[in-house]
Amino acid sequence: MAMMTETAAGGTRPSHFLMHLAVALVLLVLGGGYVLSEILQFGKLQFNTTNYGIHWGFAIVVYDYFLLTSTGLAMVASLWHVFGLKEFEPVARRCLWLAFAGLVGGVVVLFLELGAPLTALWATPLNLQTASPLFWKVLLVGAYTVLLGIVLLGMVNKPAAGRNPLMYLVGALAFVITLVAGSVYGMMAMRPMWFGGEVPVVFLIESFMGALAFTVFFTHLKNGFNHAHMRPETRALFEGTLARMFAIAIALHFVLHAGRAVTGLWSNAEGLQVWGYLVSQPLFHMALWGCVALPFVLMVLPATRSNGLVQVVAALLVMVGLLISRYEFIIGGQMVPLFKGTWAPPLLQYTPSTGEWALLVLAVGLANTVYAFAAWKLGAEDRA
Amino acid sequence: MPKWGMVIDLETCTGCQACTTACAMENNRLPGETWQDVLFYSEGEYPNLNLSWLPRPCMQCENPSCVSVCPTKATYKDEGTGIVLVDWNKCIGCKYCMVACPYGVRFYMDEAPVVQPDVRATYPGEGRRSWNPPFKMPDEYEDPSKGIGIQPKGVVSKCTFCYHKVSRAPEGVADLDEDNPETKEFTPACVRVCAPKARYFGDLDNPNSKVNELIAEKGGVRLKEETGNKPQVYYLSGGGAPVVPGNRSRRT
Ligand code: SF4
Ligand code: SF4
Repeated sequence: MAMMTETAAGGTRPSHFLMHLAVALVLLVLGGGYVLSEILQFGKLQFNTTNYGIHWGFAIVVYDYFLLTSTGLAMVASLWHVFGLKEFEPVARRCLWLAFAGLVGGVVVLFLELGAPLTALWATPLNLQTASPLFWKVLLVGAYTVLLGIVLLGMVNKPAAGRNPLMYLVGALAFVITLVAGSVYGMMAMRPMWFGGEVPVVFLIESFMGALAFTVFFTHLKNGFNHAHMRPETRALFEGTLARMFAIAIALHFVLHAGRAVTGLWSNAEGLQVWGYLVSQPLFHMALWGCVALPFVLMVLPATRSNGLVQVVAALLVMVGLLISRYEFIIGGQMVPLFKGTWAPPLLQYTPSTGEWALLVLAVGLANTVYAFAAWKLGAEDRA
Repeated sequence: MPKWGMVIDLETCTGCQACTTACAMENNRLPGETWQDVLFYSEGEYPNLNLSWLPRPCMQCENPSCVSVCPTKATYKDEGTGIVLVDWNKCIGCKYCMVACPYGVRFYMDEAPVVQPDVRATYPGEGRRSWNPPFKMPDEYEDPSKGIGIQPKGVVSKCTFCYHKVSRAPEGVADLDEDNPETKEFTPACVRVCAPKARYFGDLDNPNSKVNELIAEKGGVRLKEETGNKPQVYYLSGGGAPVVPGNRSRRT
């Protein structure tokens, strides 16, 4: 369907989707192979999570990262499908396929992390624990997956169809899932690092910002990282609204992230000392200055904002920075041991094991496999 | 129906860990991952330093955050006893309850053990049992729907207040006391072995129970009241608040 990609110049160039698919499959086999062999042999004994306090490790970081990227992408697609912002039409299809790909990558990692994933399939929907944000998250993600699948099926069957009314539901679900994902942490009054009503809003902004970064990166990837290959309407979007929106989202993320760090550093409350540790680490500054402030500057200056390569660099930095801040947030919230006595270390240390890193490789490989296959065979990149 | 609760007298407790050991034996626990533990706190510097300790079972909270976060109702409050239990048939190993318990009393069985070497390798389990401890409880006590027995892989466990004993107590009894021959067999293992008698176990809904008497007369307090979890474990500490210094607030 899309073996040859139309360019702005009206010609065609050889598709790189097969190459993309091949690279993705290599990552999938490497990451998936390593994780599966480790889990089948040792269970999760090789993971670095322990009963001492770090219960949610890198697997949950990866899962949340992919899930929230997916919901963010569905929200970006909703700008066209729900709000009728015609400018976003050229990227809406790509966003939805990316949303699906990211969702698959994230959910597979979650299933590898859960102790009893098959039980989760029936025990969660059937027991109606409405007080648990995780119950709602599972229910909503289930509905989101089904509806997103139907929307994508519709696109495969009727590639020329315009806005899809089902996207009202998909967009709303993506919005609510993001808020609920934030509540999973924000409701934890016993963990001051996580606790707070602003956390769902932070998740919303981060998810939207991450989605814009992925939209930028994959649109440039599709065009061979060459601005000249873009269709005029895509190019107009990338030099105008989308770039500005990206800059605003990064700025909001910076304010919220730095604001939480500053209040955390200021507070004497037990549990918030973790901010002192985080801020003393190079990783924090790499994320805040290198992966948030720098891309903001790049996206705010008119000279760099509309430059294709700079956009790609900014997008990559944001993608990495978001993974780091998600990691710092989830692990940081568990570093102060709860009720272990003063003989326990004041802060628990954690670094992902090889198997946990392999989960990231697996998720990246799987999401890209789904996406590249859709681009190759299902028209994910048609009219994009 | 009783609402079982515990009173721990910190002025009597010697920190001997007999309760911890008894719990490990009674409930097939891995070394270092005992449902009941004694936490130690040191404050100040030599020569003026203070060592204190705090026995810490699951608080069997009245408003347990572990119950409200559990997406499958695997963690639930047993109506007949007021004890918080885990149904291993429904637990999906998401560990949200572990994250949400303010008292850090839950254990997952699919990770590197807290204490090495991993004894599970020496005593491999069969079927659902994750290991085969040489000191395991009688099979007839096992009940996965209540989180009693040898913990399977991929699920979370916690102190059951020795539900397998307590739930068989004669109806209407106010206290389960190891010194009373009639209730001795139904008394939780940690209470039964406590040599200086620092632990009391009884019905919090019975105004005549010893636990209620101690809470009223000696000023029983609960830990981390600010969480709103309302533990059913009370501490006696001579009138003052029990000493549970946070890492940040302790004297150095
Ligand atoms: S102490 Fe923790 S595990 Fe026990 S009932 Fe309370 S919240 Fe649940
Ligand atoms: S780990 Fe098990 S008991 Fe704990 S919240 Fe998840 S399903 Fe419930």
